Amino acid sequence: MSEPLMQSPLHDLGLAARARAIDDSAGTWACERPLAAFISLRGHVSDAAFVAAVSKALGTALPVKPCTTSEAAQTKVLWLSPDEWMIVAPRAEKARLLAALGASLKGIRSQVIDNSGGYTQVVLTGGYATDVLAHTTVYDVHALEPGRVVGTTFGKASLYLRRDGDGYVLLFRRSFADYILRYLERAAGPYGFAVASAETTGTS
Amino acid sequence: MTSHRIDLPCARIDRSQPLSFTFDGIRLAGFVGDTLASALLANGWRMLGRSFKYGRPRGIVGSGPEEPNALVQVEAGANTIPNLKATQVELYDGLVARRTTGWPSLRADLKSLGGRFGRFMPAGFYYKTFKPEFAWRRIEPLIRNAAGYGATPLDADPDLYDHQHHHAQVLVVGGGAAGLAAALAAGRAGLDVILVDESSEPGGWLLSMPNVAIAGKPSGEWLSDILAELASLPNVRVMPRTSAFALHDLNLVQAVEQLQDHLAPAARDSTKPRQRLHRIRAGRIVLATGAIDRPLVFGQNDRPGIMTASALTTYLNRYAVAVGNRVVILTSNDYAYQGACDLAKAGVRVTLVDTRTALDLAWERKARGAGIDVRAGYGISRTHGSHAIDGVQLIKLDAAGNAVPGRAPYLDCDAVGSSGGLSPTVHLYCHDGGRPQWDESRLAFIAPATGRARSGIFCVGALAGEFGLSGALEQTWIIMDEVLATFGKEQARERTHATTTEMTTSPAQRIFRVPDGKREGHGKKAFVDFQNDVATSDIHLAVRENYRSIEHIKRYTALGFGTDQGKLSNVNGFAIAADALGKSIPEVGTTTYRPAYSPVTFGTLAGPHAGNTFDPRRYTAMHACHAKRGAAFEPVGQWLRPWYFPQGSEDMHAAVKRECLAARRGVAIMDASTLGKIDLKGKDVRELLNRVYANAWTSLAPGKCRYGLMLDENGMVMDDGVTACIADDHFHMTTTTGGAARVLSWLEKWHQTEWPDLDVFMTSVTDHWATAAVVGPKSREVLAKVCKDIDLSPAAFKFMDWREGTVADVPARVFRISFSGELAFEVNVEATYGAHVWEALMEAGAEHGITPYGTETMHVLRAEKGFIIVGQDTDGSLTPYDLDMAWAVSLKKAYSFLGQRSLTREDTARKGRKQLVGLLTEQPDVVLREGAQIIESTDIKHPMPMLGHVTSSYMSPELGRSIALAVVADGIARRSPEGVKDGRDVLYAWARGDAHRVRVVSPVFLDPKGERQNV
Repeated sequence: MSEPLMQSPLHDLGLAARARAIDDSAGTWACERPLAAFISLRGHVSDAAFVAAVSKALGTALPVKPCTTSEAAQTKVLWLSPDEWMIVAPRAEKARLLAALGASLKGIRSQVIDNSGGYTQVVLTGGYATDVLAHTTVYDVHALEPGRVVGTTFGKASLYLRRDGDGYVLLFRRSFADYILRYLERAAGPYGFAVASAETTGTS
Repeated sequence: MTSHRIDLPCARIDRSQPLSFTFDGIRLAGFVGDTLASALLANGWRMLGRSFKYGRPRGIVGSGPEEPNALVQVEAGANTIPNLKATQVELYDGLVARRTTGWPSLRADLKSLGGRFGRFMPAGFYYKTFKPEFAWRRIEPLIRNAAGYGATPLDADPDLYDHQHHHAQVLVVGGGAAGLAAALAAGRAGLDVILVDESSEPGGWLLSMPNVAIAGKPSGEWLSDILAELASLPNVRVMPRTSAFALHDLNLVQAVEQLQDHLAPAARDSTKPRQRLHRIRAGRIVLATGAIDRPLVFGQNDRPGIMTASALTTYLNRYAVAVGNRVVILTSNDYAYQGACDLAKAGVRVTLVDTRTALDLAWERKARGAGIDVRAGYGISRTHGSHAIDGVQLIKLDAAGNAVPGRAPYLDCDAVGSSGGLSPTVHLYCHDGGRPQWDESRLAFIAPATGRARSGIFCVGALAGEFGLSGALEQTWIIMDEVLATFGKEQARERTHATTTEMTTSPAQRIFRVPDGKREGHGKKAFVDFQNDVATSDIHLAVRENYRSIEHIKRYTALGFGTDQGKLSNVNGFAIAADALGKSIPEVGTTTYRPAYSPVTFGTLAGPHAGNTFDPRRYTAMHACHAKRGAAFEPVGQWLRPWYFPQGSEDMHAAVKRECLAARRGVAIMDASTLGKIDLKGKDVRELLNRVYANAWTSLAPGKCRYGLMLDENGMVMDDGVTACIADDHFHMTTTTGGAARVLSWLEKWHQTEWPDLDVFMTSVTDHWATAAVVGPKSREVLAKVCKDIDLSPAAFKFMDWREGTVADVPARVFRISFSGELAFEVNVEATYGAHVWEALMEAGAEHGITPYGTETMHVLRAEKGFIIVGQDTDGSLTPYDLDMAWAVSLKKAYSFLGQRSLTREDTARKGRKQLVGLLTEQPDVVLREGAQIIESTDIKHPMPMLGHVTSSYMSPELGRSIALAVVADGIARRSPEGVKDGRDVLYAWARGDAHRVRVVSPVFLDPKGERQNV
């Protein structure tokens, strides 16, 4: 029996083989941020015990305002809808976070689900990243401020979008990964599209 | 042909850059800056095509998107584009264009023979003539051959297209003087501004009026100064070659930008889009779409060489082309005078025929001073020429515009321009419900400047009725004060001075159809709509035939249809209809203006939704494993699933046979990851399940699974699947592959709107889990090799149990459920490990010949067991009882489930409904067509009672014969046990002329007691 082999949703597109350090040769650079822990969280903001329990377990305040985020160490908490959040963390943190949330939320109306196999993130950087996104989504990308996250369209699919330093993080479902990357590459074509090596993109 | 190019330094062509192009195979010359139309006119080209209905010779009439006649086919092969307006095709070196009409040739057109009998082809000709269906069937192909314009490209489109979204504070549509002034006002105030203009360079009518000064500067200089300032503002984006073609709710404007059409195909960058669709959402929209010169309607006004007066002016001033040497200009207003003077100054002999008996003295003096022969109180009654104009017959008019009997001069000429006033380009203003207003003093339908201010839409310049340059600029500044005020801003103090040297004008005469002294229909044909060959007499005929609404008159006569959308013809048509109806123009009103303002290619509308980004294609985590094994794939919803796995030269039937037998007799494996999966959490999940499923969930213990049918409000089956109890307050639901999103929305809808008191949360985990179904008598042995921590023995792990454990060193949930009727285990792991686990199971099963199978084998296996596929065997009209699945309905639940009440409705509970049955053909090797109709007799008489249809049909390898599922009226009662035949069970399945005798049986063809899955 071989060691369990983990594959990211974009594995089959062979991005790693195309990856290189970011330079001026392309207007947009994409890089998959693979194999994170994705935890779906649901609960009622009106339930003070829920908000307190989550905040305690995560070590950061649960973002309760629409389209906002919060973070603690390497854990990001994204507001997705009035009673729905996504917790994104390094994979090594998954078991600890699930356990902490489970313990903290015992007896409180809520749902905590490991969704790590279901999502991935792509970081988009480069001088034309904003312009390229304007080709793909109806959202006013220029108006997207740091610290905010929006669920919006991407071609005929959907994803969650947030700023990350000079670039953007696209969070989307595994089964749509192929479509989203192809659509992104097509949209970015006129500006120059390249795959960035992981260490040359942001870390958050 | 002689050159009509003149020496005019202010023109916008670049004489230092000559170009060569071909039209209808003839090589011609032009310059950078030319359109195909201006270059053709410069080469003396007059006739460009034949008319739609009568085959009459036609030439260029306009100079922009209003052009009705000059539709050309540009380039050839895959790059060809049909029906472009020559007036909008920018010339490039090597351009190849052809006419789109004239069959077999331009000079000898077959339809022109019909044209001689034109009086026998009135409005509504086709409706009247070909009413008998048999006649239409014969005539239609001939008409289709003769009618129409360009040819559709037959090859795949090689060009790229894309879409882009914009969010601007102010969108200005139109780059004429008013639009530029509006953009400048908004730009100086610091607002985000986008200005779109459909032409190759902004300027609008300014490009055609160089002989006027604005703010002390020649118009050309004023234009370049304002463009330079706009370019210097980082918050302003000016987009030339961008045509706003639609305005939708909430200030969304769609515009198409021609990025590479002006380049020779060889010079285009194939990695970049040819055209781009911009979707611009704007806080405020300033429409500055200008106006289009409205031609006067007179006898034989369609000869090549007759155009709008403003087109003559544009060809002269913008393109340095004098269309004729002896030009007659027919006008009812002063706007045509400046162009006439410009032509005269360029050396053209001009006769100005003014329908008014009393002229504006200043303009008359100016015209006479320019050497123009001015004739007041005349119209044109008919024209002369063969393939181009060579003379006009004038007719004397009185002050009211009526014909006066007596002789009038005949004038030789080689070009005619006419102007009946200006028609504002109100299209965008009206696209989402705005109505233009008739302004009798301006003789125009105008868009009131602030008529839609509450929606954030403002109108400036000629669109709002300000036809003069000074007035348009002044009005723009005033309106922009209002626009800026909505942002809490004020205009910068130093306004661009709006003083111009333009002369003032006197009122125009109210005249649309120039009389010829005869009753309508008795004189020469006077055309209103050139593209559709609609003459004044056609509109009068429609009114005589009692069409009263202008919308009906439009449809009966075809007025205003086509690629020009009646830009020249509509207002004339409305006015002529008003005359015929004895109504005022506002009483008649306008037809409805709808997108698109001008034609947009399908490629641009499709944009990036083409090729491998046409639609989302979803893949499972195991996809590469299947591809590696040569799977053939099929789309299931958006998913791509393995269909079958051919080996060597196997066809589908051979592969499916092998896969089916492996599942029944050995071991086989299928990727079931695409099934929808919903995680449900909360103490009331059981109650929710009781309400959304027809069966009962109260007693389902942790570690157990249950199959459920989900019904809609009408009691019809909408989805099905297995739900597992993880813990008392935690369940894992599966849905059909295609129904996943619908079911989650359905559950959320009921929870959020009707049952918010239930303590339940649900989250889609479809993508999180990868699922491999290991199926067949040997499946337990295979799984045992890679799963050590679950007791797989029949006693410990029963059918419809699930267990948590480790498979191939990965945490897994294993469900002992079966969609094949065989012993089967569905292994669920985090999708990250999907490929790993698939390969581990393949390796573990190698010694038993584990066989991957796809959807086709899955279908055969489940059909052998009579398991339904929602959406294939059901169509939203079948209840659980229709499916003979009463066992999946519990009527004892405290809270009625969705659809329960509908099950007792009269129609739902009646006898004789279509019900699911099995069918066995008399001949075992005949596989019925899915969709075949079930009938009682082969004695076919219309109408034949249709009893139902075949929903699924396969060759069953295990049974060695064909099987089918069908829905048949009163089907359950018709079913006969083996050997017992009462006659009602014998029916026929009919498809494409073949009827096969079938026997109605139970849908469970194999293992009716379900023993195989319980081993």
